[in-house]
Amino acid sequence: MDEAMGADEVDVSRRKFLTGATAATGGVGAVLALVPFVESWSPSERARAAGAPARLDLTKIEPGQMTSVTWRKQQIYVVRRTPEILALLPKHDGKLKDPASADSDQPDYAKNTVRAVRPDILVLIGTCTHLGCLPKQRFTPGQAELGADWPGGFFCPCHGSRFDLAGRVFKGSPASLNLRIPPYSFEGDTLIVGVDPAVGPAAAAAKGAA
Amino acid sequence: MATATTAASGKGFRAWLNKRLPVDDFIESQLHGYYAPKNFNIWYFFGALALLVFVLQIVTGIFLTMHYKVGEATSFDSVEYIMREVPNGWLLRYLHSTGASFFFLVVYLHMFRALMYGSYRAPRELLWLLGMFLYLAMMAEGFFGYVLPWGNMSFWGAQVIVNLFGTIPVIGPGLVEWIRGDYGIADATLNRFFSLHVVAVPFVLALLILLHLVALRQVGSNNPDGIEIKDNLGKDGKPLDGIPFHPYYTIKDVMGVGVFLALFAVVVFFAPTFGGYFLEGPNFEPANPLSTPEHIAPVWYFTPYYAILRAVPDQAIGALLMALSVAVWLFVPWLDRSPVRSIRYKGWMSRMWLGIFVVSFLVLMVLGLLPAEGLYVILARIFTVLYFAFFILMPFYTRAERSKTPPSRLTMSHALIAAVFVGGLLASGRVSAAEESGPVDICAPGEKPSWKHWAAESETDSLPSLQRGARDFMGYCSGCHSLKYMRYSRLAADLKIPEAQALGLLFPPGADKNAYITTALAAADGESWFGKAPPDLSLIVRAKGADYVYQFLKTFYADEKSAVTGVNNLALPSTAMPHVLGELQGVQTAIFRNCERKDEEGNAITESVFDKFEKGTSGRMSAAGYDGTVHDIVNFLDYVGDPSQNERRDLGVWVVLFLLAFSGIAYFLKQEYWKDVH
Repeated sequence: MDEAMGADEVDVSRRKFLTGATAATGGVGAVLALVPFVESWSPSERARAAGAPARLDLTKIEPGQMTSVTWRKQQIYVVRRTPEILALLPKHDGKLKDPASADSDQPDYAKNTVRAVRPDILVLIGTCTHLGCLPKQRFTPGQAELGADWPGGFFCPCHGSRFDLAGRVFKGSPASLNLRIPPYSFEGDTLIVGVDPAVGPAAAAAKGAA
Repeated sequence: MATATTAASGKGFRAWLNKRLPVDDFIESQLHGYYAPKNFNIWYFFGALALLVFVLQIVTGIFLTMHYKVGEATSFDSVEYIMREVPNGWLLRYLHSTGASFFFLVVYLHMFRALMYGSYRAPRELLWLLGMFLYLAMMAEGFFGYVLPWGNMSFWGAQVIVNLFGTIPVIGPGLVEWIRGDYGIADATLNRFFSLHVVAVPFVLALLILLHLVALRQVGSNNPDGIEIKDNLGKDGKPLDGIPFHPYYTIKDVMGVGVFLALFAVVVFFAPTFGGYFLEGPNFEPANPLSTPEHIAPVWYFTPYYAILRAVPDQAIGALLMALSVAVWLFVPWLDRSPVRSIRYKGWMSRMWLGIFVVSFLVLMVLGLLPAEGLYVILARIFTVLYFAFFILMPFYTRAERSKTPPSRLTMSHALIAAVFVGGLLASGRVSAAEESGPVDICAPGEKPSWKHWAAESETDSLPSLQRGARDFMGYCSGCHSLKYMRYSRLAADLKIPEAQALGLLFPPGADKNAYITTALAAADGESWFGKAPPDLSLIVRAKGADYVYQFLKTFYADEKSAVTGVNNLALPSTAMPHVLGELQGVQTAIFRNCERKDEEGNAITESVFDKFEKGTSGRMSAAGYDGTVHDIVNFLDYVGDPSQNERRDLGVWVVLFLLAFSGIAYFLKQEYWKDVH
């Protein structure tokens, strides 16, 4: 009983310590118990299997043409660029927000002036970096609605973002970053989206083959 | 209240909040200001624990619903998807399935406590009734949930329970059709049961729990002595024998929660099916309207009532008696006419009848799990009568007996009352075969033939055995049998076989490593060649048990009566499967002996009984070598049935140790505070 207990009998520090220890252990347990519930929202084995690397035969793409392949629920744009297209690329750096792709999202091996491993093959995630629409092909230079100096590229119908044929965003677009580039590599003339190029001797061999 | 005014009159956030929401007032009145009897014993843990399990069921249920796909075509597969592909899905599912059984376990102990100490007597009749309504809602919830995995027991359980309503005169048949929404248990039935299970009944449960708690606060807790603490107030107006709920009982309950969760975790991590009592084997086979499982029994918490149903040789009366056996609980507050509440002060007749009732309930529970035949039916009838007698005779024996006068103040009992967690029930399903001693008379009635004692002795933590099993399965079995819930890639990862090696050697050429393990044999071809399409074996060990598969693979024998395959099987007579492993084992000959026996009517009959195997044609392997091969294949199939099982046991050790450590600390905290209470 409350009244029955003498205040001097109560070891307050012991009570405080035990209360703290119980609360701390219980708290740790509660947080650990959350882990499986939180983890259960991560992609399941089925989603991971469905997100396996996508393969595309490059010989089927004509020069100057684009095709797309689905990888991890995203449209991957693949363009076979002609020497003419490649020649135009360095000429409008001044009109771009991030011409060197310094702030944009791409693997290191695609962080160069043409934003590609092989200059003729452009691989992009076809999701506008503004709010996620699919940019349209506007490959012909000088299209009226995009201005006489339009060098050819992509135009997003949702909010009007414009990108060149390296996926770099033009100034004046609502998007701030260049189109993202997925990890990819080649097996001969087959594009493999979702797998980084192998490093070391095997990579050199693959390069030789390409 | 004084505290409330102070809390609301000050400055700062707390005062701001209390002016708008009586937080401090609530805590003061419900925790510090709520005085509970000081002599609660172990039986008083189970109310709080029931609330804990309810919360656990709601939380795990919410997460399971995120992955489960209701529908005839999808339910079963989506449960396997949860078990195998959702991160920690197996844990969510086992927490929920084990939680269901523990919910009933805890509530049964809680109800027994109320019966013992007369917690239903005035002024607590409504508290009891609300509790009984909770119990009824729980039964509905348990039944609907049991249907959702859409296994074969789900289907036939739903069939049997729904057909019970058909016994109601006149409206019965129409009612059954209305409940099902089809002419049989079907997609429509499953869909509405899903809605009831995840939305409607949980709301009802939550509301009833709230009402149960409010009613409890209104009348105050009873106690083992069955006397009112409000009858002895101190000068301050507080009960002399009462202690504030907080900190004394909150701290005590924290300790109880720790111990309970440790026990719960032991089951979740080490025996989630509980030997087939919590998750039944046949429910690992998909619902099949064309085939009733050989032995159909509800889950253990329904079996007492099920046994009563089956004890009556008349459909309508049986159903009526079962309904009454549940309903009779509602009348207990008015049946008990004893001048005292607690069993401690009641006479010997009350004690005896309570004992008889508990025994009857437990015996009926066991009988409900056993087939309804012979002696079992007679026993079920006897204990059904005793079950009802406890209630019906209550007004008489409680008045007739001489009860003791309860003390005016509470007594502190320190007697150890053993909890009713029956460790002996712990069934891991891995009982090794008893060694036979001396010659066995195979003609003796009830004698099991020797092969039925052979045990698979799975060791799913033995990687070499699993690897050999995988190799042999791929070599001998996968030509006809698929493992449709298992991916090649997972197999390689779990069995630590390098993917490149697995793709070249183990898996068929050109197989997509992320694909499920299929078989080249089309189902239609299998059906025309063997008369029956070879079944998928993903869940064969879960459905039939490892021992059965082991015995099946070892008891093929030559039988010329079998025209297609030339062999027969003891474990599965007239099996359509050829003896695929015959080149390893050879084909043995079975020797049968004629036994003179009596049939049920006492006529002498001759029965052909298996005696022993004799060597027939030779295989490539020695007998011991073949045993090892079969052992490895069954071990592999055991792993495939529940591929997370090794991970589960490894994690379980840490969880249980942590919970024991927590319980230990909480115990010292409880001892420290309870020093005050004398």
